[in-house]
Amino acid sequence: MNPVPPSIEQSSQTPMLELENITCGYEPHVPTVRDLSLQLQPGHILCLLGPSGCGKTTTLRAIAGFEHISTGEIRLQDQVLSSVSIHLPPEQRRVGMVFQEYALFPHMSVTDNVAFGLYHWQSSDRKSRVQTLLELVGLLDLAHRFPHELSGGQQQRVAIARALAPQPLMLLLDEPFSNLDPEMTIKMRKELYRVLRQTQTTAILVTHDHEEAFAMADEVAVMQDGVLVQCDTPEAIYQQPSCSFVAEFIGQANTIPGIIKNGHIETEIGRFPNHSQFQNDNRVLVMLRPNDIQLTPSESGPGTIESRQFQGSHTLYAIRLQSGQLIQCCMLPIPVYNIDTSVTITVTTSDTILFPQPTLS
Amino acid sequence: MVRHTRLTPLSLLSLGIAAFLTFPLAYVTYSAFTGDLSQAGALWNTRLPELLTNTISLAVGVSFTTLTLGISTAWIITRYQFWGRAFWDWGFVLPLAIPSFVLAYIYTYLLDTAGPVEQTWQWFTNSDARIPSPYSFTGALVVMTLNTFPYVYLLARAAFQNFNLSFEEAAQATGATRWETFWRVSLPLIRPALVASMFLVVLYVVSDFGAVSLLRFQTFTYAIYQQITGRFDYQSAALLSLLLVGFALVFLFLERWFRKQSRFYQTSGRVRTATPKPCSMTQSLLINLSFGLLFMAAFGLPVFLLIQWTLTAWTNGDVGTSFGTYIFNSVFLSASAATAALLLGTPLAYLASRIPSKLHVACLQGAYIGYVLPGPVAALALLMLFTDVIPILYGTVFVLILAYLIHYLPAGLQAMEAALQQVHPNLEEAARNLGAKGIRTFMQVTFPLVRKGFFGAWLLMFLLCMKELPATLLLRPIGFDTLAVRIWLEASEELYQLAAPPALLIVILTIPAVFLLSKKNWQAG
Repeated sequence: MNPVPPSIEQSSQTPMLELENITCGYEPHVPTVRDLSLQLQPGHILCLLGPSGCGKTTTLRAIAGFEHISTGEIRLQDQVLSSVSIHLPPEQRRVGMVFQEYALFPHMSVTDNVAFGLYHWQSSDRKSRVQTLLELVGLLDLAHRFPHELSGGQQQRVAIARALAPQPLMLLLDEPFSNLDPEMTIKMRKELYRVLRQTQTTAILVTHDHEEAFAMADEVAVMQDGVLVQCDTPEAIYQQPSCSFVAEFIGQANTIPGIIKNGHIETEIGRFPNHSQFQNDNRVLVMLRPNDIQLTPSESGPGTIESRQFQGSHTLYAIRLQSGQLIQCCMLPIPVYNIDTSVTITVTTSDTILFPQPTLS
Repeated sequence: MVRHTRLTPLSLLSLGIAAFLTFPLAYVTYSAFTGDLSQAGALWNTRLPELLTNTISLAVGVSFTTLTLGISTAWIITRYQFWGRAFWDWGFVLPLAIPSFVLAYIYTYLLDTAGPVEQTWQWFTNSDARIPSPYSFTGALVVMTLNTFPYVYLLARAAFQNFNLSFEEAAQATGATRWETFWRVSLPLIRPALVASMFLVVLYVVSDFGAVSLLRFQTFTYAIYQQITGRFDYQSAALLSLLLVGFALVFLFLERWFRKQSRFYQTSGRVRTATPKPCSMTQSLLINLSFGLLFMAAFGLPVFLLIQWTLTAWTNGDVGTSFGTYIFNSVFLSASAATAALLLGTPLAYLASRIPSKLHVACLQGAYIGYVLPGPVAALALLMLFTDVIPILYGTVFVLILAYLIHYLPAGLQAMEAALQQVHPNLEEAARNLGAKGIRTFMQVTFPLVRKGFFGAWLLMFLLCMKELPATLLLRPIGFDTLAVRIWLEASEELYQLAAPPALLIVILTIPAVFLLSKKNWQAG
């Protein structure tokens, strides 16, 4: 049974989940979400990505029914869950949730935790369903343990099994790996991916870690200050970020100011052809990834190596330009260039990404 | 942009409860200022200076003595290793099991003219020297100190146990002596605990009625009681009550303010705590001698006397069937009040902890009104309300239960709030998310997790009600006596043997609760 990501053709179906212009969070201490719209196809995994306080958890809680929305509509399989006038209580939504701290009931065994959502099921059905899920997450041996007798990773498996038990239409996961150590995180990431694909579960996963988002998601939705700034496949997000915020959040990106002159972009480190719709005399920011840049030592070079970080397969150099700007450059570990070496910079990519330069305010 | 303020039936219920609990005080305030205020002027000139001097000097005096006793015992027990340390660690909590009026009546016997203490003293000094009368400031000071120093001990002990030793080591590294370090570093750093315990002690002293009434020391509570029973002057009593309530309120706000101020004292990171220093034989002996004296005065001797008197009363056949009636009355009243308080407190505490909207928090704060209503004041409030508005209920057990409820709900609420805070809201959300309705969530998730805490709250309220004196004296139906009332009545007549059996019973019942109290985390802040 090899878990296979859903094919692209499926995305023409009716969406599983639709958020239409939702606004929520007027309670104090709850970050505001403004005018957010999203669609999620059946079987897809979407990652809500953003820095803390950007409203991603609030969005998740609005879908689960723990926050009210003040505009817009949330629909699940065309049924309205939330709108200005409707608020389906959380227990009637058929949306499963895995909480950040797992929220396992401390007074119940693993079995009882998983069976909690199967209250109205026949006893025999309940038993076999619990059995199936414990098998799915590999916890059959620990069925009689209590939450405090489990490791972090095991607790998370129970939380996932418990959320999936009542056969929800979709699953929400709030920072599922934030309480695990790095080694366990990678293991559980694979495990969760396998479980979600195997059960063909539609899922939304909240995270502030772009690597996690890239590893898990069919689609990544990046949020900033309560607003959805870009929603696309991980590849598109990385290659064509819609703004400098996304570019910088997704990974080390150098943004260098430039100006359009005669069909070219003039910057401190050289001229690039302009393939964009920006006009002459427009001020822009050029985005360059550290591996789009090469350095060569040169007496008259415009930059100076300020620091060097050996990272195993490559070395990351920080170069101070004459304007004072610092840019990152990724090189092979050999040869080693010393700090304070003067260098020239070559750009190895032909399509650069441009953003409008924010006006100083 | 509409802010969602949803008025659920539960919010309305808690609003109703809060209104119900605060109404009596509102009514007293209203009645105090309606009608003839000429008597109030007389009261102001004749009684007030004495009452103010007495109440304040007692509060200040007891604060000083309890701080001294509490800090020194806590310091020695946390910092030194000596023979018997394990016993003293919990032994100094035991005095809390003796109600103030029981200790007071034992001291009226001990310190009386030609009483045991005076005789011993005269034999010892071989003179006719007199000791101070128990019916004085000194008597009240001694009794209240012995009764309340364990609060300071508990808080100071917790503070010293969690104290980060690095601060002291840093001070000593700069050349400070141990003595300087204690005064300039250790004490200032546990200031939050000291202030918290001082607030506790002062509030206890100014609202105490049992001890000061038996020692005939004129403080506010005793004066209010006398205005009600001796002169039937409810208005003067109401005015005195409002002064006392105002004083308590100011005090409460000061405490809150101070608690906010002291936040920065909390240290983060790893804490190195002190290892107790071994003591020499002589030191061990001295410590045990002084601790033994304190313990005998506050607990050992009183309990010994109670046992002795009870045995005498028993052999004289003074413990009759009426004793059973008193026990039944006390248990019935206390159990009813504690149960009612638990039922009424649950929605308030639950809503305020889960949906802390302004309304819910205000309702909860309203329920804490009992804090600033000393027993006689709570009784007066209900007395005036029921005689004026619902006279048919006046003089029934219902009014008495209501007084207990208002007076002791705060103590229970604190325990209930703490229990609810232990349950992360995510657990309830998880239950809802898995399809459970509100009621099933409460019964299967919340309640099993707070059960122990709620039981503790019930027990605490039950025991406090068992010891309640002034409201019972003022509101009980005619001929309806409780254990506490019997103790007080017999003790007022100096019938020590007759007062002993109910007193001993209350002490024995209270000891387990005192242990629960000593295990609680007493860290201030």
